[in-house]
Amino acid sequence: MDWIRILLSRCAAFIHPQKLDADLDEELLAHIELATEENRMRGMPEEEARTAALRSFGGVTQTRERYRAERGLSFLESLVGDLRYAARQLRKHPGFTVTALLTLGLGIGANAAIFTLIHATLLQDLPVPHPEELMRAGDDHRGGISWFSTQMYDQLRKNTPEFQELAAMQASSPDNSWLTLHRQGAAELPHGEVSEWVSGNYFAMMGITPAAGRLLQPADDIAGAPMVAVMSDAMWQREYARDPTIVGSAFVINTHPVTIVGIAPKQFYGDRITPYPTDLFVPLATEPLLGESDYTHHPTMQWLYILGRVKPGVALVPLQAKMRAELVPLLHQLPYYSDAPGREERIQRIRLSLTPGHSGIAVMARDMAAGLHLLMWISGFVLLIACANIANLVLARGLARDGEISVRVALGAARTRIVRQMLTESVLLSCMGGVVGVAIAYLVSAMMLRLAFPHAEFSPIRATPSPQVLGFAFGVSLLTGLLFGMAPAWATSHAQPAHALRRSNRTSSGHASLLQRSLVVLQTGLSVILLIGAGLLARSLINLQHQNFGFEVEHRVVVRLNAQNAGYTTEQLQPLYDRMRARMLSLPGVTKAGMALYAPLDGDDWGSDVVVEGQPQPGPNENVRSSWDRVSPELFDAIGQHLVRGRNILATDTAHSPGVAVVNRAFVKRFFPRGEDPIGQRFGMGARKSAADWQIVGVVENAKYQYPNEEQQPMFFLPLLQRAKSDDESMEVSTFYIGSIILVTAGPTPGLEHQVRQALGEINPNLNVNNYETLEAQISDRLNQEKLVARLTLLFGLLALALASVGLYGLTAYTVAQRGSEIGIRMALGAERGDIVRMVLQGAMLQAGLGLLIGVPVALLCGRYMQSQLFEVTRGDPEVLTAAIAALALAACAAAILPAKRAATIDAAKALRSE
Amino acid sequence: MGDAKSDVLHGTLDLMVLKTLESMGSLHGYAVARRIEQVSDHTVIMNQGTIYPALLRLLQRKWIKAEWGVSESGRRAKFYSLTKLGRQKIAIETENWERVATTMARFLAPST
Repeated sequence: MDWIRILLSRCAAFIHPQKLDADLDEELLAHIELATEENRMRGMPEEEARTAALRSFGGVTQTRERYRAERGLSFLESLVGDLRYAARQLRKHPGFTVTALLTLGLGIGANAAIFTLIHATLLQDLPVPHPEELMRAGDDHRGGISWFSTQMYDQLRKNTPEFQELAAMQASSPDNSWLTLHRQGAAELPHGEVSEWVSGNYFAMMGITPAAGRLLQPADDIAGAPMVAVMSDAMWQREYARDPTIVGSAFVINTHPVTIVGIAPKQFYGDRITPYPTDLFVPLATEPLLGESDYTHHPTMQWLYILGRVKPGVALVPLQAKMRAELVPLLHQLPYYSDAPGREERIQRIRLSLTPGHSGIAVMARDMAAGLHLLMWISGFVLLIACANIANLVLARGLARDGEISVRVALGAARTRIVRQMLTESVLLSCMGGVVGVAIAYLVSAMMLRLAFPHAEFSPIRATPSPQVLGFAFGVSLLTGLLFGMAPAWATSHAQPAHALRRSNRTSSGHASLLQRSLVVLQTGLSVILLIGAGLLARSLINLQHQNFGFEVEHRVVVRLNAQNAGYTTEQLQPLYDRMRARMLSLPGVTKAGMALYAPLDGDDWGSDVVVEGQPQPGPNENVRSSWDRVSPELFDAIGQHLVRGRNILATDTAHSPGVAVVNRAFVKRFFPRGEDPIGQRFGMGARKSAADWQIVGVVENAKYQYPNEEQQPMFFLPLLQRAKSDDESMEVSTFYIGSIILVTAGPTPGLEHQVRQALGEINPNLNVNNYETLEAQISDRLNQEKLVARLTLLFGLLALALASVGLYGLTAYTVAQRGSEIGIRMALGAERGDIVRMVLQGAMLQAGLGLLIGVPVALLCGRYMQSQLFEVTRGDPEVLTAAIAALALAACAAAILPAKRAATIDAAKALRSE
Repeated sequence: MGDAKSDVLHGTLDLMVLKTLESMGSLHGYAVARRIEQVSDHTVIMNQGTIYPALLRLLQRKWIKAEWGVSESGRRAKFYSLTKLGRQKIAIETENWERVATTMARFLAPST
């Protein structure tokens, strides 16, 4: 029990030491006086009385020390003392401090910024209660089922009580599916919004409460129920300024009456992290009416993702197996598995996995992961370089303080005490560096996000570093402090004091230690690696941007719209398209107008298995996939995709004429590998019975419709309104509705956008333009991630170069200072200033050269891991290598020149005298 | 100023201080030191300064308490006295010490 009292007393004393010190001093003084008094009364003279009293007391200072040691928390006190001393030291050497802080701050800041981005895009939890209970069916990246049809979802939902709620949501990206809506009765133009079909229990599964009104319920998700929708808070704010009358008001969506029943809570952005979060949530049951096609009733259309909240304590592996078993009878219906040979085998191989769903549907994670990991490595390198810099700085300073430390040791300081003090200095410096780093991280994160997602205003991706990031930054800085504090602390404490005192300034070989030199070599090596990486990525980006896409890019505009939202039936489409075409061509500056289901690099893609008439059944492992599109007769001309053989789609290929198709070269290569003439051959989509649907009439050049950095895919092109003879209607209908108009302009045409919107609005007010962009801008958008990675790598590469230069400068300056007397001697013996400069420069370039020797081969090796990010660039690209090496050599020269010049101006006599 | 010596001295010195305060009542630091010197018949020759860490230890445990007062000669000094807890502890500590002394005596006695 005593120890508690003692501890409390010590804590109290720690807080108010000054008063207690004064008390003690008074008490000791009183003691001495009383003793002196007694001595005097015994007859001693004044002087002797006092001396005797002091002698019998013993050492006053020592008493004070032992008293203090017993009194307070001595460890803490010495720590505070160390910190104060360290702070004073840092203030006294501003050059060192600022350099060190900047270096550390940039290194740590870069890391924290990358970590913020990674956390925001890959690791962030959905803003719902208990996100760890959410499980997603599918997407373990190993080929399990991830897309489900409505029937499959219903089956799972009804038979899996292990889920509290099992919800479904559309798989295609919501910002590719816009619904046109306007408020009924209001003077409001119809506008398109990002929308998403979700099941009735979606919000119940999420477990959130509405900001206003109510959220969707299972009763809304029944065919024939009155149509309702939920608006996002962002849209409520943006379009209607949080007008409370919106809740419960009647809207018109795609010409159908829909009631807005409520607003989703403010921080809710949907089920996936995307720069364009969902603004309108509509029940699955409305899809046949509001949607592009009736996916709901089509048994093979796998258009849903499944996300559910499991009940606590449920075992996942048996649940997976159970769900898979529930699906097997439905799988037999899919055409892929219904064509005879190998069917059972293929079905056996189907897997279903449950993956963690706490961050929802991780689409962005999938797309961005590779790039972000690369950036993480790069910022790690930068941090290493920064640490090496700091280590060198501290080492140099430590060695300069040799004399001071030796004196301390000679005066009786314990070695551990000195080491502790130096460690404290390092840790203080790195903690301050951490703070600077976090500040830089805040700034850089915002900039990086704007680089990554240039168009997103209401993005759920936040730019502010989270507690994890801050913790990470401080952890890194603390570790750095401990690491680079160790070396000098350890080295100095083991120095023999007399040795050091005798040694100061008398060395003739003032070379920096091996450690210092290796650190600089390490820095240069790492910088070279980064520069080469940056160069390769920059080159790759340029290649991506200027590749031959297979179509023309200049003077082209893409107008994205959704004709189905305007309520046209399929019979009305032909005259509509004719009218649209004429109207577009009548606009000033427009020379050509083509229409398509989707334009190149729209972000859309339709694919299908292909069955060629007369060819044998493909094996189970053969790739019979092809992308396809619908195009108007003018489209190829409009985008500049060249016809190679046969004929184009013509105006005479109508809904009532025989089915024709134009294919690209890659299609010919995949499906007619033995060189047969494709013209005249027939093929179909999906099952064998449709093999005669389409007759090939022409071949076009390959063009990139899907991804700029992928190989050319086989593609076939159908006329806008032709229907496959064999296929059932429901699937085909949505593809009759064009999604894009491509306009070719004669030159720059300001104001064209407004004219286009107006022209379409005149034809039908519901013909809403969802997006209007030049083709160049559209392509640029597709390359956002590559641009981000390339730019950041270049930034980090330059940062690394700057840091390495600082390091080299520091080392050279230090060496020159150490060799002061040597240089003096040389000059006295007749060396020219130029000789001195050359000598110093040689030393510095040697370091840089060693770094290059090590760095370049390592860079070539590492290039292997980066290859997936590179487009048409080999990792040993000679131009990039030369540029990187030249940049480094130049920087090294610049860094070493200043101290070299200073060395040449050393006054020989002064140098020799200052010992 | 060997550290080893002071370890042993800690316990004994603390007990001496306690006993002194028990018999003499309230004393200032100097008086305690002089009294110990006298009682031990000057066999305990100590640096008087060492009394203060001992007093601090006892203060921390709240076995003694301190307050400022005025000495006989009119000088301001800090006076220490036993607390109730301290009085209890004296009995315990005395017992402990006697037990140790008896055991040691047995070991140190010439073997027969």
